[in-house]
Amino acid sequence: MRSPDGRRAPDLADTEAGLLARAQAGDVAAFERLSSAYADRLFMLLLRLLGDRAEAEDVAQEVMLRAWQGITRFRGQSSYFTWLYRIAVNEANRALEKRARRPAGVAIGADELQLPAPAYLDPSRQAESSELRRALGRALADLPPPLRTALVLRDIEGLSTQEAAEIAGVGEAAFKSRLHQARLRVRAAMGDEALASSGG
Amino acid sequence: MRVPGRTDDHEWSQQHLSHYVEGDLRPRARRRLDRHARDCADCGRGIRAMRALVYAAHGLGGLAGVRAPDTIFDRIRSAGAG
Repeated sequence: MRSPDGRRAPDLADTEAGLLARAQAGDVAAFERLSSAYADRLFMLLLRLLGDRAEAEDVAQEVMLRAWQGITRFRGQSSYFTWLYRIAVNEANRALEKRARRPAGVAIGADELQLPAPAYLDPSRQAESSELRRALGRALADLPPPLRTALVLRDIEGLSTQEAAEIAGVGEAAFKSRLHQARLRVRAAMGDEALASSGG
Repeated sequence: MRVPGRTDDHEWSQQHLSHYVEGDLRPRARRRLDRHARDCADCGRGIRAMRALVYAAHGLGGLAGVRAPDTIFDRIRSAGAG
């Protein structure tokens, strides 16, 4: 079937709503297709929150299992993405709590939090950018989890305050308070000179 | 009655640099910080640093080639999908 402008109309079963309906009816393949669209982003979020690739892989599996087990309870009050991200933040927090209870808690790996500089930068700017990213990664790694979550969701992921607060499971005012605290701490850790010279 | 002096404004401004950059200050508070930062090199630098921090954090966004592991649905599969 074609729409009036001549393009093929998407098959309803392939849209997010269609996949969701099928997943809620017990179709695991539909659930996997639906969730695959967000899998890379979700995994990246877990890497940023946990700072450990093996743990992020483990938690990502748990997030998908929890989402599958709870899919019939999803009522569409938020987007599917927001709902899935909320589960991811909860599971990451659970993993961090477990880590904190271990006698010799594994420190968050700052290296996991910083990423390669974009390829379009020239080599000298890439080196500068990499150093800034490393410093930012270290500062992020030192933040308490609720503050790190706020900064990751709002500043790194670029979500709106409303959506980020919903995912973090707090009201907007509380979320903003965490975000401002996180930025103040990161600023203090990095130093104004390093930040100002980054040219942002 | 004590009149707020530079120290009060300075400490308050330092605590509200993120609110300022985020646009979370009411007009009166924004004017207060603007007025103070005009004469305070520390706070002027603080505003630039806070803006740079937010810019640098945005630069960390994106996936940078990171892919979710192929095992991401394994737990569902091994649980029998039921």
